[in-house]
Amino acid sequence: MILRILTLLLAALVIGCAPLLLDDGQLSLGMEMLVTFVICAMWNVLAGYGGLVSLGHQAWFGIGGYAVFIASNALNVNPLWLLPLAALVPALIALVLTPLLFRLKDAYFAIGSWVLAEVFYILVQRSDALGGITGMPLFTGGMLGASIYAQVFWVAGGLALAVLVLSYLVLRSGFGLGLMSVRDNEVAAASIGVNVRRNRRLVYAVSAAGVGLAGAVYLIPNYFIQPGIAFSADWTVIMTFVVVIGGIGTLEGPILGTLIYFAIRQGVTDGLGLSGSWYLVALGALAVATMLMAPKGLWPILRDRLHLDWLSVRRPWPGRPDRAPHHQAPAE
Amino acid sequence: MSQDVPVLQVSGLRKSFGAITVARDLDLEIRQGECVGVIGPNGAGKSSVFSLIAGVLAADGGRVILDGTDVTRLPAHRRVHHGIGRAFQIPQPFAGLTVYENVLSAACSGAGLRGSAASDWACEVLERTGLARRADTLAGALMLLDRKNLEVAKAVATRAKLLMLDEIGAGLTEREVAFLIERIAALKQDHAIIWIEHIAHALKAVADRIVVLNFGEKVADGPFDAVMSSAVVREIYMGLKEEAGHAA
Repeated sequence: MILRILTLLLAALVIGCAPLLLDDGQLSLGMEMLVTFVICAMWNVLAGYGGLVSLGHQAWFGIGGYAVFIASNALNVNPLWLLPLAALVPALIALVLTPLLFRLKDAYFAIGSWVLAEVFYILVQRSDALGGITGMPLFTGGMLGASIYAQVFWVAGGLALAVLVLSYLVLRSGFGLGLMSVRDNEVAAASIGVNVRRNRRLVYAVSAAGVGLAGAVYLIPNYFIQPGIAFSADWTVIMTFVVVIGGIGTLEGPILGTLIYFAIRQGVTDGLGLSGSWYLVALGALAVATMLMAPKGLWPILRDRLHLDWLSVRRPWPGRPDRAPHHQAPAE
Repeated sequence: MSQDVPVLQVSGLRKSFGAITVARDLDLEIRQGECVGVIGPNGAGKSSVFSLIAGVLAADGGRVILDGTDVTRLPAHRRVHHGIGRAFQIPQPFAGLTVYENVLSAACSGAGLRGSAASDWACEVLERTGLARRADTLAGALMLLDRKNLEVAKAVATRAKLLMLDEIGAGLTEREVAFLIERIAALKQDHAIIWIEHIAHALKAVADRIVVLNFGEKVADGPFDAVMSSAVVREIYMGLKEEAGHAA
């Protein structure tokens, strides 16, 4: 536990001091990394712990962004103060839509969530009030001043740390145990008293809220929002690939996956000088290789090799305190 | 809890899927400290009746009263909170969680316990069900006997008043069945038990009464020897034996 708190404090210190040392370009990249971690972590909570594989999570990214842009322009208020809306609006829409969406199971849910995201994309694209396909500017962007990159970096860092800490606490709670029970077996979970429907609705709404926040934080420093970027399916592609590569159903997986993703992206784009989407090809190839050779992702391999147990939410049996928890592969 | 109020009272329970009837005006009563064995040929509707009582299947009619509370309209997870615990015929472990976490989850969600109260209770259940030595093993990696034990352990961990055990002896060796009989006899002290089982000597050893189901209908209800020698049971099982003979 002390190790966890120390690493957390260290991370907070690094995030807090980074803007004093880095230039705007580096801060922008750092913010992007933090935002990427957040959306991947939220997708992982939903898929890896809740058993709900969404292929339409870009919807919440865009809705979070548009919520803040619309409200900030309308009220003439600093967009960062309106960030709570980027969590609230997606969460509420998610809660309203779950009765419909949860009629679909597994692969059908995945496709259904994707269709839903396309519906939002098309609705925004067709809306003249929102600037249609060209998008709309953030008129209040000037309120952020010259230190905008530092501000947004700090917000993204705070969000990333909050997501990590809250995920850990929730997954260690009885609710988290219920969530993982539902993931492993719905009928059996109901048979030990878990309210399957409420449990899943809640985690879906929380996941949507986190992605919405990340979307707004990412889009604000652009001073402009476009449906093609805000609702881009690439966001979900990144979420799935990063989580699959890093290790689905582990809290460390999205951290490792995000680092690998940016190493590949910067390596292919800057290092090899290959422009455009070549880095996505490399990412996809790595994801396929991971699925074939290490279906649980890279973190579980590192964890078992190095005997790390950094953010594991496993509860060791307290009955015999001398015995350390060990990880065993389930029988396939 | 008053001795007069049955732990489970089922009256006029009905359910059919098209032409197939899994429960036909079924009446059933189980009292505190009682173990009722349920037998019947395959397809008699035994497991479906469990699903109706547990609320996993919605009944077409009739009532399910648990310890004096009408739970007919409650969903499955709420019925658990009123005292129903179920061990499935085909074990349904939470494969990605350890044995301890499986039981702890039932202690949290089913019994409504938290923190150390939940973990203490989960540990006690593991000791009682002989699973302590497997506590940190992933449930997906268990052997059959332990999987069956885990089904019972999860049901017990919800603090169930009524335990519904579905063929938890099937596939076990004679030695293992002997252990099972001891364990269920011990569980009778704290739970009313309804047990679907094909292993006759196990039921004879533990069950106070035997209920015979055939095509969703209760065709016999009474002490083991009386039920086993009754004409109706002979007819049902003789019929099966003849068919098996033809098939061989």
